[in-house]
Amino acid sequence: MSELAEALANLEEDKVKELIKKELEGSNGALSILDELRKGMDIVGTRYKKGEYFLSELIVSGEIFKESMQTIEPALKQSAPPGKMPKVVIGTVKGDIHNIGKDIVATLLKGAGFEVYDLGIDVPPQAFVDKLVETKAGVLGMSGLLTPSFDSMKATVEAVKEAGLRDKVKIIIGGGVVTKLVQTHTGADAFTDDALEGVEAIKRFTKG
Amino acid sequence: MIVETMTREERLRATVKLERVDRVPVVPLIGQFALRQHRMSSLPSGAGTSVDWRRILDVFHANYDELGGYDARYVAGVAWPRSSWRVNGPRGGKRVTPGEGGIPKDFSVQWEEREIMTTEDYDTIIDKGWNGFLEQQIPRVTSQSIEQEDAAQKALLKTYLQDVREWNQRGVPVMCGALVISCEMTLSLARTLPRFSMDIHRFPDKVQAALEAMVPDFISNAIADIQESGIPWVNISLERGSGSYFNLKTYERFFFPQLKRIVEALTARGLICVLHMDTNWTLNLPYLKHLPRAMCICELDGTSDIFKAKEILHGHMCIMGDVPASLLSLGTPDEVCEYCEKLVDVVGKDGGFILSSGCEVPIDAKFENVRAMIDTAKNHTAPVSKKDG
Repeated sequence: MSELAEALANLEEDKVKELIKKELEGSNGALSILDELRKGMDIVGTRYKKGEYFLSELIVSGEIFKESMQTIEPALKQSAPPGKMPKVVIGTVKGDIHNIGKDIVATLLKGAGFEVYDLGIDVPPQAFVDKLVETKAGVLGMSGLLTPSFDSMKATVEAVKEAGLRDKVKIIIGGGVVTKLVQTHTGADAFTDDALEGVEAIKRFTKG
Repeated sequence: MIVETMTREERLRATVKLERVDRVPVVPLIGQFALRQHRMSSLPSGAGTSVDWRRILDVFHANYDELGGYDARYVAGVAWPRSSWRVNGPRGGKRVTPGEGGIPKDFSVQWEEREIMTTEDYDTIIDKGWNGFLEQQIPRVTSQSIEQEDAAQKALLKTYLQDVREWNQRGVPVMCGALVISCEMTLSLARTLPRFSMDIHRFPDKVQAALEAMVPDFISNAIADIQESGIPWVNISLERGSGSYFNLKTYERFFFPQLKRIVEALTARGLICVLHMDTNWTLNLPYLKHLPRAMCICELDGTSDIFKAKEILHGHMCIMGDVPASLLSLGTPDEVCEYCEKLVDVVGKDGGFILSSGCEVPIDAKFENVRAMIDTAKNHTAPVSKKDG
C-alpha cells in the first residue's frame, strides 16, 4: 500500500494534503494520485465492513477525498482520460429534499471509481429518465427518507420502464425507512439503508 | 378484549416502573397522520394567529376516537413545550411546506438542514454556555430578537398547556412536559452532519468542551419547562450519536457522559425520561444500563434490534416501539397484527413494554394498520414468567 493510500485510510488529512502536493511536484501524475486515493477509499470500505469504521469515518474519508480531488482536478484534466468508468445516475426522489445520505453515497461511488451524475434533491421521474438516456448509465440510485417517497420511487421505476430502459438499468433504492417491503412496492432491484452496502450493491450490478 | 383494571396513567407509570400491568399500554406517536385522515394537508407553521389550533386539536381528538382510543398522547397537539430546541433544530433550517415550491401536497413537512453555526461558535458555547450562545444566535439565524422568540415560544406553550388540559380531562395523559434535543444532536443539526463529523475529527477537544458546557443549561431549561408545564415527562431526542453514525469510543468520550449527566439530574427530581432513539442503537444499548433504573424509556424506531434491547434492558429499563413506518404505510392489518403480537409476546414478557409506532406514524399510514396496532395491545396478553406468578 502506498503512503498516500495509507494516509487516506487512516484519515490523516494533513498528511494526505502534503503527500499530494509532493507527488504533484514530483514525477507522479494526477492519474496515479487518483488511483492511490481510490485504494485508500477501498481500505476505508474494508474497515467499515469489519466494524472498525462507522459512518462518521466514511464521511471524513469522503471529505478528504473530495478536497483531494479539487486539488488534483486541474492536473487531472491535462492527463489522458482515465478509461471507461461505470456510470451511475443518483438523486433524491420527487418531493423529498433530504440530501445527506445521497451525498455520502455519491462521494463513496466517486471514490470507488464510478462516474456519478448527481441530480440533487426533489428529482422528478422524467429527469432521472432523461439523464439515463443522455449518459447511457447502467445504474440508477434513488434516495428518500419519507414514506411518501415510496410512491415517487415507484413512479420513477415506471417511467424507466415506459422509456424502454428497464432491462438496461439496474435500480437501487436507499434511505432510513427503506425495507424489502418498499423494494417490492417500487419494483427496484435492490434496497439499502447503509451507504457502503449501497455502493457494494452497485459494484455487483456493474460487474454483471 | 383484555379486561382493564387500571387507568391509563396507572398503566403507563407502572410500565415505566417495570411493575405488573393489566395489559401492554399502546402510545402511537400521531401527528401529521391524524391531519391527513381529516384532509388537512400538513402541519401549520409557526405560532402565528393564522394557525387554527382549535381545529387541529379537534382533529386529534376525533382521530383518537376513530382509532378506538389509546393510552397516552406522546405530545398533546402539534405545539411542543418551549425548550432548548428553539433554535437548534428547525428554526435554523428552512421549512419546506407540501404544495409549495414544487413539493407535492401529499408529502410531509420537511426541514432543509443547513449550517447555522460556525466552528468559531464552539468557543462562544464554551465561554457562555448554551443559553449565552443562543442570545447571540437567535437574532442571527431567525431575524427575531430574543424577546420576540421568547414571546413566540410562550404563545406555543400556552396552546400546548390548553391541549394538555383537554386531554387530561378525558383521562388521557400526555407524555411530554419538556423536550431536550441531545447535545450532540443539537450541534449536528446546527453544523450539519458532515461538518460535525469533521469537527470531531479535526478538533475533538474543543467539541468535547462545548458539549460539556451545554449540559447545565440543557438541564435548567428542561426543569424550567417542566415547572411551567407541570408534566413530569421529559422527551430526550437522540439519533445522531448512535452506532449508526459514530464508533463506541467516540460515543463514550463525547456523547454518553452528557446524556448521563442530563438524565441523572432530571430523574433525581422524579422526572421520567423518554429516550427517543431513532436510527440503530443496538451497539449502544449496554450503556443504558448505566442510567437510573425504572426511570427512563428506551424508545426505538424499528431500526435497532428491539429484541436484543429486551435481552439487555429487561429488569432495568422500559422499552417502547417499534412498528416500522414502512409496515404501517405498505403492510396489511394482518402483517401489522402479526408483528405487534410478536412484540407483545417477546418484548412485553414480564412487563416493561409500551407498544408504539417506530418514531412517528407516517403521514400516509393506512388507518386500518394503525388501528390494528392499537387493537393488538388491547387484545393480546403479554406472557408472564411462572416465577412471577
